[in-house]
Amino acid sequence: MLPGPVPAVDRLRLAGLRRRDQWVNLLLLLPGVGFLGLFLVVPLAQVFLRSVGLALIGQASHLTWDYYRQFWVEAQYRDGFFFSLWLGVASTVISLVTALMFSALMQVRFPGRLFVSVLYKVPLVVPSLVAAFLILSLVAPGGILARLVAHWGWEWPHLVYDRWGWGIIFVLVWHNVPFMMVIISAVMAGIPQDINDAARNLGASPWQVFRFVTVPLSMPGVSAAALLVFIQVFGAFAVPSLMESAYPLALPVIMQTEMMDRANWALASALGSVLTLASAIVLFAYYRLVQGRGSPAR
Amino acid sequence: MTGARLFPGRSGPWLIAALFFGLTLIGLIVPMIVGVLWSLVDPRAGWFPPNLVPPSLSLDNWRAMFSVPEMGEAAVASFTIAPIVTALCATLALPTGYALGRRPVPFRRAIEFLVLAPIIMPGIVIATGLGSMFIRFGLAHTLVGVILVQTVVVLPFMIRIVTATFEAVPQDLIDAARNLGAGPLSLAWRVLIPLVVPGLFAGGVFTFIGSMEEFVLTFIVGSPHVRTLPVLLFAYLGGRSQIFTYAAVVMIVLLVPTIVLLFTAERALKQEYLAAGLGKM
Repeated sequence: MLPGPVPAVDRLRLAGLRRRDQWVNLLLLLPGVGFLGLFLVVPLAQVFLRSVGLALIGQASHLTWDYYRQFWVEAQYRDGFFFSLWLGVASTVISLVTALMFSALMQVRFPGRLFVSVLYKVPLVVPSLVAAFLILSLVAPGGILARLVAHWGWEWPHLVYDRWGWGIIFVLVWHNVPFMMVIISAVMAGIPQDINDAARNLGASPWQVFRFVTVPLSMPGVSAAALLVFIQVFGAFAVPSLMESAYPLALPVIMQTEMMDRANWALASALGSVLTLASAIVLFAYYRLVQGRGSPAR
Repeated sequence: MTGARLFPGRSGPWLIAALFFGLTLIGLIVPMIVGVLWSLVDPRAGWFPPNLVPPSLSLDNWRAMFSVPEMGEAAVASFTIAPIVTALCATLALPTGYALGRRPVPFRRAIEFLVLAPIIMPGIVIATGLGSMFIRFGLAHTLVGVILVQTVVVLPFMIRIVTATFEAVPQDLIDAARNLGAGPLSLAWRVLIPLVVPGLFAGGVFTFIGSMEEFVLTFIVGSPHVRTLPVLLFAYLGGRSQIFTYAAVVMIVLLVPTIVLLFTAERALKQEYLAAGLGKM
């Protein structure tokens, strides 16, 4: 329906209404958006400015790339970056494979399913520090499993404080698999049963149904969950700080030392910008991939 | 059902049950029991390898909750900060959630991205910015500073959930109230707010748990003066001397309220709130 020509008086009134509407919008948005603007955008802008030597506290500021150069030239920072990257990739891949299989199995009706479906969500509310404590008391040297196998005279392998951070990865996987399962199970529950039946009728084995039907159709939920987990682990501080070996240190741990022990906010800001930039690149690649893939299944 | 089709034969479901129960036992129940045992270890006897259970039990570590000042103070700090953060988030999110949920606001994409940012950004980066900013404002190492930084990271969950709830309110109800002569204020107070109470409650559970568990920002902005339970737990687990017994006590004080809250609220936490809080990127 096309509106007719609007009389001049009405047009003025409409414009007034629209202006009033904008004011109402502004007033309503101000509390939430204003708060985030003041306490998120401003500090993040400062992080970037500080990383190039501007807006420093108690120092003369001049534009410089020295802090970024320091990051790339000194091995401890570069290794920290790659160690965090390794933790992110390894935790995400292991969590993803585990969560996919468990979610598919959770679609099956088995005895005690309700009980399991409630219990597996407990790690969602367990802080990562508590997760670290629970896993430490389980697998650390002197932990309960080490004591158990010692009774039979076996040696317990070094799983924490190791060069490759397997203890850290173990805690992060424990923490993230339930989170992924919540998202992936919801997507899998939405796959019509007919599709599985059709695949089975056409001669696919259960594994083939999982690999070629369930997993591809779960992709939207899977990729979002994987992305979120990767970025969180990449920037994780608490668990690596508690369970890593002396070298290499994860990048967030180095940042914390620079901030709190050395008050070197400029270098910490540069490292933080590198962390943010790397996460942003992954995020961008994800959106390109999702758009590029389009909707082959629908 | 899927089970019958995917796993022919009768043993399939039982195998899956055994797998899941075994994993829950080793991964969840045994560590929890070990944690409780650690909190009950007699400090005079200790609990050293190769003992599988502590040689003697006592409540000494629980008494430390009251006799060691830092533990009592951390508990008080945590249980003071979390309700304040929750109330602050609800106040800030209600108008903004209404605007995002029901009005054609300009720059919608940009605002949604801003609300998503604290969820996906690494906490340590936000802490880098806020830490130095709060030192300049004199808010570092204060209770107010900690409340503000925790609000930054939990507010997005509240805004997303409240927005989703406002979106779900049927327009008919609002039109009916308007036709019956309700002004904007009584419309908000009598119709809209009662309809979004479930969403506010779900968001409140999220923010309360989020605030109780927040660590990185509290640690960097608050320490050493303001210490919440997670900060104390970090101190007991890291550093040169691990104090597993105190760590276990702090862990239980931190964990029990959040788990109880989750299970009492589970009925109210519908799947769509969970989706609004977590997924939907």
